[in-house]
Amino acid sequence: MDTAFRKINIDIYDEDVLQDSELYEADPRDPAEVLEDAKQRAGMVRSLLAKNDIPAALTVVLENAPYGPNVDDAKARILVVDIMTLQTLLTILNTTKSADIPGVIKSLSLDTQDTLMKYLYKGMAMPGWGDVSGSVLLGWHEKLTEVAGVGCIVRTMTDRRIV
Amino acid sequence: MPEVFSLSQSPITSHSFNADRSQLAVSLNSNDAQILTRQGNEWVPEVTLSEHDKLITSIDWAPSSNRIVTCSQDRNAYVWQEQPDPETGRLVWKPTLVLLRINRAATYVKWSPREDKFAVASGARAIAICSFDPENNWWVSKLLKKPIRSTVLSVDWHPNNVLLAAGSADMKARVFSAYIKEVDERPSPTVWGSKLPFNTICGEYASPAGGWVHTVGFSPSGDVLAFASHDSSINIVYPGGPAIYNIRMPTLPLVSLTWTAEDTIVAAGHDCRPLVFSGSEAGWQEAGTLDDATSKSAESRSAFGGNSSVGRLKAGAFATFRDADSRGQSGISGQTSASGDTKLHTIHQNTITNVRPYEYSGAGVVSKVSTSGVDGNLVIWDVNAVSALTSRLGAAHLR
Repeated sequence: MDTAFRKINIDIYDEDVLQDSELYEADPRDPAEVLEDAKQRAGMVRSLLAKNDIPAALTVVLENAPYGPNVDDAKARILVVDIMTLQTLLTILNTTKSADIPGVIKSLSLDTQDTLMKYLYKGMAMPGWGDVSGSVLLGWHEKLTEVAGVGCIVRTMTDRRIV
Repeated sequence: MPEVFSLSQSPITSHSFNADRSQLAVSLNSNDAQILTRQGNEWVPEVTLSEHDKLITSIDWAPSSNRIVTCSQDRNAYVWQEQPDPETGRLVWKPTLVLLRINRAATYVKWSPREDKFAVASGARAIAICSFDPENNWWVSKLLKKPIRSTVLSVDWHPNNVLLAAGSADMKARVFSAYIKEVDERPSPTVWGSKLPFNTICGEYASPAGGWVHTVGFSPSGDVLAFASHDSSINIVYPGGPAIYNIRMPTLPLVSLTWTAEDTIVAAGHDCRPLVFSGSEAGWQEAGTLDDATSKSAESRSAFGGNSSVGRLKAGAFATFRDADSRGQSGISGQTSASGDTKLHTIHQNTITNVRPYEYSGAGVVSKVSTSGVDGNLVIWDVNAVSALTSRLGAAHLR
């Protein structure tokens, strides 16, 4: 049976189709600015980690984290920023002692907790990449769910501002 | 102590009481609506309203005009009225067709406060505002379309009979003017605006973390709007401020809400128990739940997941599957762990899909609410019996 018709994108014939971009406000910042910002944060995080101030380091990397679609020419650059942020975050996660995790999470703001959950899932979606360690991410996930509840996971799933 | 009625084994899609609460219209996840009459502690089926040929999605019973409106996935709505049968003279429920002019399922229906109009939300990115046309003896509709971008999931009327709030799957709650020249008098100015021709947008509010908006509700005065969305949050909007209070919950999303006073909201959803929120223009917070799982009466209910720290489903469900896998025990015969543990702590055993005011104790003050849900139960709660959330309820964490 001919099933090729199933692959036809019928949405292009609908002038009233709902675009992804209409569902959330795009990151207003310029990609170059975001990249510069991400580099600066990586530096700040390193110095905070040296002082062993995990909560502050996490807040730095998670607040105003870049989000959104990888549009056209800015795509490559955004990708670099995304990866860089994830890399910085993983460094923090991997260096935190497991006994300290609940305390660290409790000190974060609600927004930051939600963003952290997004990055945990992003990390889990990239097994074997860089420093991604499943057991570390799952450990954080468990502790984060204890503090922020399943509502935090629901928000990660519904939020279109993906990291 | 909440009154619990087990109406069916199947989900209750929608429920609505008549004015004196002696009768109840429900749809049990089917093409038919049923009218049940209360006899003591039982609800006895009396009449079946069958006209729809797809699933009924919503029912609303107008208290003073005693008319029922039903809407369905078949893109139709019917207004049912009790009329004497020409042959026997007995009162029977007769449907009147509504010309909805929508090309997708109708999702939600609600009578206006004066009961001369009703609004039908639909998947056709439109809300049909219906009013009666006596010449042709049917209901005609006018469509609110712009700027809705996706399925409308719920609507609620402002007490002035003109403004309409709508929650939609495009992540937004909106306030529209549904002014119909033939029906309405010119409305007096409100906090939402003063000039209100049909389809004026008086407010548009996005859910903070991008969840589709399940439910909307005007406060008794109509000056405040509340909406709950699938990002597990509830938002309270003061248009004059303008101030929006967002409460993020650690639990699963709410799907239905009702104001019980100008400073209190009862809302329920996937977490299977009604939550109470209270506040004022200065701020809002969660006040507790109506489902007191720690009370004595609740002790007889099983302690499912009571010791679980993360999800209340974790311990019980996990044990059920582990036993089935490693010991070949099925959930039904497994006496020790499995059978008792598959019961939830809460009174409702599944998602609550409807919360409605049941009893009033003054103008705009609700003293009892009714809830129905996917578990086929109808529960009537005393609004004042609020108890603090406890960790025994598993997923619930207070902060």
